[in-house]
Amino acid sequence: MTKNLIPQDFLKNVLQNGVGRYVCQLQRITFRFCKSHGASRHMRDFIENHLLGFSQKNPGVAVYLQPRRHRAPSIVAEYLNGYREVLFLSDKQPSEICKWTEHLRTRSGVQIVKMINNIHTETPSTQGIWHPFMFTDTEWAVTKFPNKKLSSVLKTGKTATDIILDEQTEALTEGVKHCQINNK
Amino acid sequence: MSASIVRSCAFAQQMTLMTLRTCATSVYHVSKRNYDQYRMKYLREMYKRRLEVGPEKERRRSEWINWNYDSEIFAFGKRLGEEFNETTIKQAFIHSSYVEKERAKRAELGLNLKDLTFDLEDNSELAEKGADLISNYVKVYLRNMYPYFFEEGICAIHNYLVSESMLSHIAKHIGCGDLILSEDFPVLPSTLSQTFKAVVGAVLKDRGQEKAETFVRDFVLPQLISKDINELWEVVNPMGLLTAVLALIGKGPPEPRLLWKSGANTIMALYWVGIYSDKQLVAKSPGETVTIAEEMAAREALKKLMKTEDSRSPLILGRMADNLKLDYKKVNMSAAEVLKNYYSQLKKQNTASA
Repeated sequence: MTKNLIPQDFLKNVLQNGVGRYVCQLQRITFRFCKSHGASRHMRDFIENHLLGFSQKNPGVAVYLQPRRHRAPSIVAEYLNGYREVLFLSDKQPSEICKWTEHLRTRSGVQIVKMINNIHTETPSTQGIWHPFMFTDTEWAVTKFPNKKLSSVLKTGKTATDIILDEQTEALTEGVKHCQINNK
Repeated sequence: MSASIVRSCAFAQQMTLMTLRTCATSVYHVSKRNYDQYRMKYLREMYKRRLEVGPEKERRRSEWINWNYDSEIFAFGKRLGEEFNETTIKQAFIHSSYVEKERAKRAELGLNLKDLTFDLEDNSELAEKGADLISNYVKVYLRNMYPYFFEEGICAIHNYLVSESMLSHIAKHIGCGDLILSEDFPVLPSTLSQTFKAVVGAVLKDRGQEKAETFVRDFVLPQLISKDINELWEVVNPMGLLTAVLALIGKGPPEPRLLWKSGANTIMALYWVGIYSDKQLVAKSPGETVTIAEEMAAREALKKLMKTEDSRSPLILGRMADNLKLDYKKVNMSAAEVLKNYYSQLKKQNTASA
């Protein structure tokens, strides 16, 4: 039951991203904070010291600042596939805010769900996939069963029984020889 | 009023006394002594009202406060790693319906259009140029990648790639959706696909043919990955085509032979048919009846002759394609022509022998 309730999906690559050129899937990010409240203290610090570096490094992401009076600080990330994610970061240190921003930047916008293993290849082998007839002779398609020739036991070299029997006969002959010598 | 103030003061005094008493034991702990019964009622009421009013109206992204069109346009170019001229890329996002609307607005205000400089130009011209480039380049690239594939097949793949649904999908995922200026909302797939063509046109205008072709190769052609290209082209009579192709390359006519079978007269029946030419196995394939297996084997043989088997080497894309030399004048063989030639020759032979 729970297996069906937990959302699961195959690994996805939106628009085959990175095959041609890599397009950052985060299209805009909004930092919401209060100018006076204590909960936004570290967010203000982050904006002062780290935000410029972030926007310079990622010119493809539109950055907005939105001061809201007496509200908890948060980050809103909007992705190219239309997905929007909000993170509330009250009393979080600037270093932690940096990490969350980086986390949002590197995501593809596909929701995080349990992965299903996709056993799949874009380039199948030249031999083709295995099938039950792979090493069978095509002659069998027209033979009538039961077939005497095909039913006969295939003998390839000595079997284990043969080896033991051989050993026994050898031992017997040697024993006989030994007895003969003693008798003399 | 005064009574309430007095009461609240007395309450405050009591509170301070209480806190003074408790602070010795726990400084930070404040116990919660209510069950939020009013909040519960409030939320229930809000829920009811939301059901009555219905869902929130879908709005354009530009209606929200955190929106700056210029910075969005700048980010669009940077995101794709292209350097656009600002006026060109802005024009690429203007749809003709938007221009008409603006004109109508000005006319409504009683402004004379002749006096004012109305410099809005829609993207139809850019889109036309972009569409031509996409179409040409996709065909040239495919012809060079699959030199033995028939022209009909090339056209089928091309149609799949430049279809409205595919181009609108690409346009949406490179971030055109919010930037488009058009009358229709939510933006129609046709508008999205036209915008993508216009963006290609803008690259062509600002950065030249080569960069525009790289743009197409990076965004349109990767959509073929994990797509079965043989399925895109529907061959009606594979055995007929196979006969003609084998005759063309100087091989004997195809001979289907049953290789293996299993579970005949059951619902799990399985037949493997191989196709031979000059006593050499060309291809084999399974099927639930002999006729299906034969047809599938013929398709498999065609795949082998066209060198589009499942195990073909992957397309040359991305950085590996930087030094790719394409022959722009390459022409692939047409299946219709091959068939026509083969059957006209057959006819001639028959009349000669009769």
